[in-house]
Amino acid sequence: MRDTIQPPGARLGDRGRRLLERGRRFDSEALLPQLASALVGGTLLTLGLRRGRLGGVAMALAGGGLLFRGTRTDQEPHVRKHGVVVRTLRRQRGRDTTVELTVLQRSITLQGTPDALYRRWRDPETLNQVMGHFAEVTASGDGLQHWKVPGVFGKALEWDAEVVEEHPGELLRWRSVGDTALPNEGWVRFRRAPADWGTSVTLRFVFDPPGGVVGEKAVKLLGALPSLLALKALKRFKSLVEAGEIPTTRPNPAAREGGYSS
Amino acid sequence: MRALCWNGINDLGVETVGDPRIVNPRDVILQVKMSTTCGSDLHFIDGYIPSMRKGDVIGHEFMGTVVETGPEVKKVHVGDRVVVPSFICCGSCWYCQHDLWSLCDNTNPKGELQEPLFGYQTAGIYGYTHAFGGYAGAHAQFVRVPHADTDCFQVPEGVTDEQALFLSDAVPTGYMGADFCGIQPGQTVAVWGCGGVGLMAQKAAFLLGAERVVGIDRYPERLKLAREQVGAETISYEEVDSVLDVLKELTGGRGPDACIDAVGMEAHGTGVVAAVDRARQALHLQSDRGQALRQAILACRKGGTLSVLGVYGVMDAFPMGVIMNKGLTVRSAQQHGQKYLPRLLEHVVKGELDPSFLATHRFSLEDAPRGYELFKKKQDGCVRAVFLPN
Repeated sequence: MRDTIQPPGARLGDRGRRLLERGRRFDSEALLPQLASALVGGTLLTLGLRRGRLGGVAMALAGGGLLFRGTRTDQEPHVRKHGVVVRTLRRQRGRDTTVELTVLQRSITLQGTPDALYRRWRDPETLNQVMGHFAEVTASGDGLQHWKVPGVFGKALEWDAEVVEEHPGELLRWRSVGDTALPNEGWVRFRRAPADWGTSVTLRFVFDPPGGVVGEKAVKLLGALPSLLALKALKRFKSLVEAGEIPTTRPNPAAREGGYSS
Repeated sequence: MRALCWNGINDLGVETVGDPRIVNPRDVILQVKMSTTCGSDLHFIDGYIPSMRKGDVIGHEFMGTVVETGPEVKKVHVGDRVVVPSFICCGSCWYCQHDLWSLCDNTNPKGELQEPLFGYQTAGIYGYTHAFGGYAGAHAQFVRVPHADTDCFQVPEGVTDEQALFLSDAVPTGYMGADFCGIQPGQTVAVWGCGGVGLMAQKAAFLLGAERVVGIDRYPERLKLAREQVGAETISYEEVDSVLDVLKELTGGRGPDACIDAVGMEAHGTGVVAAVDRARQALHLQSDRGQALRQAILACRKGGTLSVLGVYGVMDAFPMGVIMNKGLTVRSAQQHGQKYLPRLLEHVVKGELDPSFLATHRFSLEDAPRGYELFKKKQDGCVRAVFLPN
């Protein structure tokens, strides 16, 4: 589980090369870990941001970084938390810091063909609804998606993402572009399920925060929430496609919060 | 509007809350004509099932009139008199399409709360804890019904409100329990519990071809209903030394072909085991009192079927060895109401089924806490308390 120390500057370049390599091979199994990492990181990030505290943000970033690094190992994932495939990797950062890297992946099975579901996912409005529990995703021209996670110190965390790999009906990979506080990437994979189960969809997120890494603390503080973010995105996609709407109880009559609850 | 809210363990109050609104496009708003108590409500009222929040509107068995429809609602119209199964179902996921309605994938917005306990999420229910979705319940003047085209069933002319009311939960649950038994002509079915669900399971067992049905309870008025309204034979477990022995004698030593548990986690019982169960549950050393279930497993004939309708948490001290060595088939589910409602309505229209005798007491919504008290303590012969909110 030990990995070679990379100077921070070299990290991105190295990652890019690895991704490109994998992309050329198009070994979708190899790509999965990276996407999952991205998802997890995103979750962490979102949660941290939502907390609106510096600590939260730092945690989110750190968590994301961990996730991403985890993806770069070729270790088999193992289950660490409820229903979440997590992989960890200890990596030394700088001289005195060791961080635990975490990769997270979730899958869901839903009705529909891989082709139809892929097309649905590609609809920019779909992504906005699916990620709506933590981010606003809008088309920003030039084939870019604009991601906005509201509420960090009263400000939103934003980035543009571009599709870097596209295999219709099978796999879509995206990655943040330009200067952002939270470099990240993700992928989603569609595979036909057996019998009349439809399609299995797998989603990963990898976040790669810059600068100081809070690392293990971030993951611990966030607890199971990051996994929920990825899971919820998939569940929201499933309900949207199958049932035509995302279930909600908001607002809900109740004897609290002004006669309603959420 | 006014609604019955859970304010804490054994603390119910009628409160003024916000009116429900159309939130999703397949929603309708129902003006509730009747709602009724259910034994499974008692489990969270008593605090044995967690994830209620102070101020939640409860109630999951109801019927009423549609007063507003969302833009995607096609088959249901304002003014329709409908009955609604207690589980909220999308109608389009794999589970709904395979008639496993209470396992719907798409209606529980808080399914992740269930996954640590169950592995996977179930459908949402009205007014029944946040693990089951956190939807506002129907002991209220109005209730929001999602996926109305799938979940609202028109009540035909000639079927009364009270007959329709119990088709929401008690009747389909009981009917499903009997259906699980795969009853063959000439068979004997024993049913633990003579509350609403137990009585309906007994009735359904006859409708599905059972020759003899035995109801087991301890309240004389419930046993009387089983005899007089359903035609079952009855055993009062407090008046016999051994339910097992009585069932054996009733069946020539073979045992019932199928046994249905319509009691659940708050079973009463007699003897040391019941006392130990009760103490362990009170001390939170176990979530369930399994007396009725264990007795049903013991009494069932070899190679027979055990059908579990009672609500359980994470029960320990479960006699798996008995099930295994006797070759029992075990079937269980929360009710798949959407599967059974059309045929149940037919039974009612044809006069083969009239569940309205379950409604032993009526209250205005304002008196609902008293209704639950009566229902919980089974005072005054209360089988079901019906609330009229409007």
